[in-house]
Amino acid sequence: MTTIIKRNNWAIWRDVIFALFVREIRTSFNDRLGLAWAVVNPLVFIFALSYMRGRMSGGETHTIPTFEFMMYGMLLIQLFLDVLMNSSNAIKKNKALFAFRQVQPISSIIATGAFYFVVKLAVYLLVLVIMYFLGMEFRIDDPFFIIINAVALWLIATSLGLIFAIAQCYVPEISKIQSVLTRPLFFISAVFFSMQDIPPEYWHYLDWNPILHAIELSRHAAYNTYSNEAVSEFYLFGSALVFTFFALSVYQISWKQAISR
Amino acid sequence: MIRLENVTKYYPSALGKQYIFDNVSFDIPSGHNIAILGSNGAGKSTLFRILAGSEYPNKGRIVTDLHLSWPVALTTGIHGQMTGAENARFIGMINGVADLDTYVNRVRQFAELGPKFDLPVGTYSSGMKPRLAFACSIGIDFDVYLIDEVTSVGDAKFRNKARKALTQKSKTANVIMVSHEMDELRHFCDSAIVLHKGQLTFYNDLEQGIAQYQAL
Repeated sequence: MTTIIKRNNWAIWRDVIFALFVREIRTSFNDRLGLAWAVVNPLVFIFALSYMRGRMSGGETHTIPTFEFMMYGMLLIQLFLDVLMNSSNAIKKNKALFAFRQVQPISSIIATGAFYFVVKLAVYLLVLVIMYFLGMEFRIDDPFFIIINAVALWLIATSLGLIFAIAQCYVPEISKIQSVLTRPLFFISAVFFSMQDIPPEYWHYLDWNPILHAIELSRHAAYNTYSNEAVSEFYLFGSALVFTFFALSVYQISWKQAISR
Repeated sequence: MIRLENVTKYYPSALGKQYIFDNVSFDIPSGHNIAILGSNGAGKSTLFRILAGSEYPNKGRIVTDLHLSWPVALTTGIHGQMTGAENARFIGMINGVADLDTYVNRVRQFAELGPKFDLPVGTYSSGMKPRLAFACSIGIDFDVYLIDEVTSVGDAKFRNKARKALTQKSKTANVIMVSHEMDELRHFCDSAIVLHKGQLTFYNDLEQGIAQYQAL
């Protein structure tokens, strides 16, 4: 008959997250456009925005090609928004699965978050390949740092998603507030502008936002000539740490009741 | 043995907290096939979900060293966009089944869904989904199966098959069952727990339990 492996807690966690991850792949791109949509959607945005910006400032924006300038802005804000939106819905969406005692809400958050991270990473690599075949020149001076930036941003998005997801279990209306709160992020996170477009005396209106730090730092990591004067890696990593700690604390005290309502 | 220790469970509502259990301590003895009896809304399904770890009590805890199934209700954990095979694989993975291919095959044979097994569950008829859910759980060896009305759905042929399989299982494992059909309960169970006004009472003899329940 069926043999059940006696697993320790870590092995159960790993198996569950893997199973949820596979399930996510299987169910996320289920319409006809499928996976292609995940690639085409940001590409269209990047082209449109870099075309507009390109008309204003020529082929280069503060020493980096406008296309890449837009690419880092667009991909990172989409990484943030996609991960935040999907992880904050993950608990509600997978509610039926918590019937299995092995499946805990945080596993579904991690699996969802990891899935959208992988999607964006794949899109990034694909865009680079397309640029290569189009004969566009590009530099990546510090690839390691770009990854670290993305991971820090991902941690912030997932942590916020976790907090919102838990909050939604208690107050369903939170999801409406969340969409109001996240809408402006696209416009204030240096997606299509640079801090260098803005006089330093106004920086303090914008530089509280860690997403902006992640985007500007990634541009700097790709082209060392691009100024990182307005932003700080310490602030980005610090925010990631604080958000993660806070989210895990909230989770620890409330997850059992959150799924028992 | 499954022990409930000072379990309090309520659901928040517009009319204040709706208590299902208020500081209940109770031992569910091992070695019995138990029918859970109670009127609608007495908390049978809630009890099931707490036992299985699908939900947690507001206070208190459940202590057991037995391997309990998930509460096998009509469509627990079945995803409409995935095929029957994928669903089975997912459930196997989560429960730590060693040989997934064999397990999926066994579910395929037991559920008898034919080619539909490889189509999305969303296309199944309402009688086919519980067949899949039941096949998934019976394919795994648990110490205790928590069965919620599942054996009373499906066509006559499948009900027979489910009965046989569950009877076979009940030689090596135990069943805790919720059903409103007394014949169903008489077939599988030897004892009963009557759930009334948040209190649990164990009856060693099923008939005694049923009599008590019908007198309520």
